[in-house]
Amino acid sequence: MSRISSAIVLAMLVLTGAMGLKTVVTTHGGSSVLVANGTAPVPPTPWKNGTAPVPPTPWKNGTAPVPPTPWNGTAPVPPTPW
Amino acid sequence: MPGPFEYTIWLVGALLEASVVVCSLLRGPFRRYFTLNLYMSTSVLVSAGRYLVFTRHGLASSEYTYFYYYSDAILTICLYFALMGLYAIVFEELGAAMRLRVFMMLLLIGTTLFSYAVVHQSESRMVTHYIVEISQNLYFVGLILTYVLWGALLKLRESRVRVIQIVLSLGVYFSINAANYALHNAYPSLRFVWAFLPPAAGMFLPIAWIYAFMKFDDEARLAPARLAAVPR
Repeated sequence: MSRISSAIVLAMLVLTGAMGLKTVVTTHGGSSVLVANGTAPVPPTPWKNGTAPVPPTPWKNGTAPVPPTPWNGTAPVPPTPW
Repeated sequence: MPGPFEYTIWLVGALLEASVVVCSLLRGPFRRYFTLNLYMSTSVLVSAGRYLVFTRHGLASSEYTYFYYYSDAILTICLYFALMGLYAIVFEELGAAMRLRVFMMLLLIGTTLFSYAVVHQSESRMVTHYIVEISQNLYFVGLILTYVLWGALLKLRESRVRVIQIVLSLGVYFSINAANYALHNAYPSLRFVWAFLPPAAGMFLPIAWIYAFMKFDDEARLAPARLAAVPR
């Protein structure tokens, strides 16, 4: 049992280290994908240049009426105090 | 579109990968290093498949794009198994095979679950996101595992030259690609650097493994350093 537990702990440690390293490496990153196998030319990432239509963002094109933001009443907005 | 230089690199890379398997068969360690040969064989097949899809549909086609990224995930999983085989070779004398298998499989399952947790809120192309995420995460797990293996080699005072050569070359390969990825993210304008490094690393690995298989016997050991005679 202790052997399995130690294997689990080790696996978690390695996974944490790997994901930490990945986070460090991609700190400045955009959405580039690491490709490391083979010498073939690299195509664009699939979710940038696919053929499927991109769905609209849900908060822009819904059918329901947009509720007013709670801090906007009907009163005129005063100037900022500073 | 790739030019003659890129085509040449692609062809030479595939030929070098095939040469690893041939050299391994000629020199005898094919079964012992089966997972390494499995990775190289799969890589040759994937290169051939990529070439077929590429010539039929082109670089920017969705067919080539999906084939490329899905096959890349398969290759990364094969590379993980290659690493698993190396661990088995290094730790074979310790009798820890069962624990090692449990550890590696737990790590693989943990990586797939973690990848799912990252992408499960993707609304579009979730499977593709998932496949690419697994490939990326498994790659970084492989990088860490290679350095852990190198530390174990030092700790165990491993002296088999072939094993050392293979593990070190794998470490260089992983490191070049990780550094290149960081460079790509930090300096996207340096395209001439980050577009050149992955093919260079892709050619380095089979060359290093061919060298390891052809130059060294399986029992070849590093000569211990000479003791210095200190006059009293």
